[in-house]
Amino acid sequence: MTDVTMTVNGQTRSASVPPETTLLQLLRDNFNLTGAKLGCDVGDCGACTVIVDGQAVNSCLMLAGQADGRRVLTIEGLASRDHLHTIQKTFENSGALQCGFCGPGVLMSAKALLDENLNPSTQEIRDALSGNLCRCTGYTKMIEAVQDAARLMREDSRAQLTHARTEVATP
Amino acid sequence: MKAFGYVSAKDVAHAVALLGEHGAKAKILAGGTDLLVELKHAVHNPEIIVDVSRLAELKEIVIADDGLHIGALATHADIMNAPIISGMFPALVEAAHSIGAVQTRNLGTLGGNLITCVPSVDSGPALIALDAVVTVASAEGERRMPLAELFVGPRKTSLKPGDLLIDIIIPKDNLDKPAAFEKFGLRKGQALALVNVGVSFWVGDKSVFKAPRIALGAVAPTVIRAPKAEAYLDGRKISAEAMAEAGRIAATEAKPITDFRAGAEYRRDLVAVLVKRALAKAQARAAAKQKELVA
Repeated sequence: MTDVTMTVNGQTRSASVPPETTLLQLLRDNFNLTGAKLGCDVGDCGACTVIVDGQAVNSCLMLAGQADGRRVLTIEGLASRDHLHTIQKTFENSGALQCGFCGPGVLMSAKALLDENLNPSTQEIRDALSGNLCRCTGYTKMIEAVQDAARLMREDSRAQLTHARTEVATP
Repeated sequence: MKAFGYVSAKDVAHAVALLGEHGAKAKILAGGTDLLVELKHAVHNPEIIVDVSRLAELKEIVIADDGLHIGALATHADIMNAPIISGMFPALVEAAHSIGAVQTRNLGTLGGNLITCVPSVDSGPALIALDAVVTVASAEGERRMPLAELFVGPRKTSLKPGDLLIDIIIPKDNLDKPAAFEKFGLRKGQALALVNVGVSFWVGDKSVFKAPRIALGAVAPTVIRAPKAEAYLDGRKISAEAMAEAGRIAATEAKPITDFRAGAEYRRDLVAVLVKRALAKAQARAAAKQKELVA
């Protein structure tokens, strides 16, 4: 057995699993986080995408042991009970998901992109989502939703900056 | 996946010792993007997996006395984001960017890609065109060989059980050599190359091709050079016509197959076009560098 301890959505989680357990199996079967989906299981479809130490990866292509000691963010870590994440809101508003199976993976790819780049070009968004297959073929609206989210997040960070400046200016 | 033992190597010496001890019963886990698929499909049934993915010493990208060293565990994303590489060899950034998708480029490593040794290996042509050398470690010590000697046949390298690929070196004489990579697949994302091409050359006195290299992927059992096309270019005045003719000659040197992705004739035509495009791109880079030097 392999003992693993990692931070999942901000909480420390541990498990003891057979070495051949993938990160995806660990998340779904041991931690009961079923947002990341088992699709192709060979790294083509991106339905299992999660963010490990800031990078989007296919959790079906990573052994649980490789994630030991690392920070994992899954779709369950995006929303709080009261608030959806901006990316989730814009996907909802745009109707960017149809059957929704690819959604958790697409959203995590979009999140990883926007964490690095809040002003992505259409081509950069396409590149970031090229590892996520949507068989309802609704890519256009997804790209619009990511653009909307980027705009809202830019405005938000500007507002926060202004707020911070005001606080400094008025002691 | 079938059950296997798992050890995470602490350093290179530990990894080499484990591989020496377990020999053919062990498999090396680097990025895992190919290995895990093969384990799921039971292509291999190792008794033990030696996980080297945490060995920071094999992820470094540095210039040393003998050239540019790219650690075998540098991921495709690391290569795309390394300022040394984008400044000196944009061809390697293009090759890395053409592999898989973001998720696979974040996990997949240069060394892992090379040792898949598939005919279409996207990391191969540009590195072969830059005369890359590889360092291999085993219980007997370290050795170096040209990258071209690593490639033996489809999915077959010259590495033996117990060997660990350490780094890939572009020799110092080739630092800054103008180079380019071109790939044609059926889609932009996540597509195997129908043909991929790497080229490099220096601009010699009186603007002639000097030390031209043309490497072709997916048109032979392994990545191959196109020696006749290279000989044609060597010492010849740089021109669009010469580039096109080199492409036509290279097409005669390719030995493509017909499969469900494309026919042999189509692949041969692609060789002519991609070689011409890659040479033109490398020339534009050489000209830009020249301008930089003058300015």
